[in-house]
Amino acid sequence: MPVDGKEAGPASQTILVVGGGIAGISAALEAAETGHDVVLLEKGPSLGGRVSKLNRYFPKLCHPTCGLEINYQRIRKNPRLKVLTMCEPTNVAGSRGAFTVTVKRHPRFVNEKCTSCGDCAAATETMVPNPFNYGLDKVKAAYLPNEHAMPMRYVIAPEAIAEGEGDKLKAACKYGAVEPEQQEETFDLNVGAIIWATGWQPYDPNNLDVYSYSHSPDIITNVEMERLAAHDGPTQGKIVRPSNGEPAKKVALIQCAGSRDNNHLAYCSRICCLGSLKHAAYVREQYADAEVDIYYIDIRAHDKLESFYQKVKADPQVRFVKSKPGHIRVGEDGRPFIHGERTIDREVYDEPYDLIVLATGMQPSAVAGYTPQVGLVKDDYGFVVPKELEDNEGIFSCGVAAGPLDVSLSVQSATAAALKAVQAVRQSA
Amino acid sequence: MTAPLPNPGKKYDLDFARWVYDNVNGGDKMALCMQCGVCSGSCPIGTNMDHGPRKLFMMIRAGMQEAVMTSNTPANCTSCYRCVVRCPRSVPVTYILQDLLAKQAELGYRAKDSNENIAFAKSFWWSARAFGRTDERLVTAKYYWSFGPAEFWKRSMENLKIALGFIKKGRMHIGMPHSVKDKKGLKAILDKAREIESRG
Ligand SMILES: Cc1cc2nc3c(=O)[nH]c(=O)nc-3n(C[C@H](O)[C@H](O)[C@H](O)COP(=O)(O)OP(=O)(O)OC[C@H]3O[C@@H](n4cnc5c(N)ncnc54)[C@H](O)[C@@H]3O)c2cc1C
Ligand code: SF4
Ligand code: SF4
Repeated sequence: MPVDGKEAGPASQTILVVGGGIAGISAALEAAETGHDVVLLEKGPSLGGRVSKLNRYFPKLCHPTCGLEINYQRIRKNPRLKVLTMCEPTNVAGSRGAFTVTVKRHPRFVNEKCTSCGDCAAATETMVPNPFNYGLDKVKAAYLPNEHAMPMRYVIAPEAIAEGEGDKLKAACKYGAVEPEQQEETFDLNVGAIIWATGWQPYDPNNLDVYSYSHSPDIITNVEMERLAAHDGPTQGKIVRPSNGEPAKKVALIQCAGSRDNNHLAYCSRICCLGSLKHAAYVREQYADAEVDIYYIDIRAHDKLESFYQKVKADPQVRFVKSKPGHIRVGEDGRPFIHGERTIDREVYDEPYDLIVLATGMQPSAVAGYTPQVGLVKDDYGFVVPKELEDNEGIFSCGVAAGPLDVSLSVQSATAAALKAVQAVRQSA
Repeated sequence: MTAPLPNPGKKYDLDFARWVYDNVNGGDKMALCMQCGVCSGSCPIGTNMDHGPRKLFMMIRAGMQEAVMTSNTPANCTSCYRCVVRCPRSVPVTYILQDLLAKQAELGYRAKDSNENIAFAKSFWWSARAFGRTDERLVTAKYYWSFGPAEFWKRSMENLKIALGFIKKGRMHIGMPHSVKDKKGLKAILDKAREIESRG
């Protein structure tokens, strides 16, 4: 299949999917498996999006790698689906059947000859904050994005090139895969329909100044907790206090850290209650004597997930405290204290913890990134939705780009978007 | 003039919440409260309030008019505005408390344990009227004295260390109280204000 899709004539049959998270992957596969040519753009070095950084999935606590791997297999088997990593759109023009999408490709400095032998990593001395672990640890500047990366290919951080290591790394690779001369480039794609699946970013905890995130290493966010619990995370899966490496046995989870708050994200992020229930389970699995307190306004275990809530609630060492804390202070011994009012009995408390996890919400990536002016609009919160719900304009959104969804709802919305995109290119054929 | 309570004397009155929405400044916004507890948990003197704002709002919804109109929560609010800044639902908590306090007074209610507040307010206004300034030493002394000599002695001794610390750091002035230049003018302003207030 030609990448630029130009051969398809004035009405292109190619479907473009932007964002290689679970939503984008699903939409791309569904469309490709109906026999359409699909291009999947991912701005990072690997597919998988935020899901690849989760330790386990609620409610069954199974491993996301499993579901991702099944999808990667489907991608490998499908000649109609073309994956382009390190790529993001900078402009979308045209209309259904004839969109022109300008794409910027960031240099990876490693080509497809890479066998992921790791010789480049051995040769580099530059270290960079590890993006996979939200910067909780450092990684060599020539690195595999993660253990189960797709494509399974190294990437070299621009910092290593800036440090003048390019030639050294090139010489270290016996397969001729390192290309320090790569530059940022721009090209156009002609496509018939577009699915926007750019996902989300964690809400910045520094905006919640009363929760003192920057004042103590023992105050972390829920996405960091996923990495802390993961075997390929910064602590090889041990849930410890970042300040001193000791086991975190008294843990607080604070719900709605930024969500349902007019000063921050005015909407409910929908997944963080379940995320924290999962985190309570992580802690309790590791330490028989651990205590977990969940501070909440009300627990929103949406859909069929109430039973997971009931299961966690049955554990006497998980305490549910109905209270949105007022603030967190760092005590003289360095331990963080949560201060607030328990709304059931109106007691004002001031409790010390080993580790405090802020359940920050999901903010659509579109608040910071480029969003097409044609066919799509951002709602009040930055979620991207089609301008015309009735007319098929050939451009759609799915996953968390479209609203705060969990994985199963993201995949459902991805299938719906794929169907609409298929209809769009068929209608314009 | 504020509309009178719809059914005064009733312990529970479901019309009371409506009365608050319609008559108390910011009261309509109280309907947005989701009982999260941030206001009472953020309040620097929350433990000195009988109920705190969150619970008071719930009591209003429950129609507990007598208990609300005799609550010390409005009077003890220091107007620090922490709750207003932090409330996730943008409820103007401080404004509501301030106006509830005014309504309590206007309709002849008084917080059940308001002796402290009244004694303090009297001392505060005595100093403000006499000097156009609040002199901490005199306000405190007069306030303690209103509970009798024994209580005056006890409370003074309890706070002596703090006072000495203040003096040492140059935070409390010793000598004659500071005063505004035009005391007569100040008195005229305050008298006029009182006259306007009494017109209702
Ligand atoms: C702490 C936490 C725990 C969670 N746990 C669970 C769980 O256990 N079970 C569950 O069902 N859900 C869970 N979720 C929710 C889950 O993470 C989301 O439902 C899921 O990530 C949505 O996938 P997505 O593809 O829409 O977005 P993303 O995962 O964000 O993927 C978007 C992709 O698009 C790429 N991208 C962004 N902008 C561009 C651009 N301009 N151009 C090209 N590419 C771009 C990104 O790099 C990324 O790869 C959790 C969420 C949190 C916060
Ligand atoms: S899912 Fe729970 S924690 Fe997240 S915003 Fe909604 S209520 Fe708050
Ligand atoms: S902070 Fe706001 S929403 Fe929360 S209890 Fe107080 S008034 Fe209600």
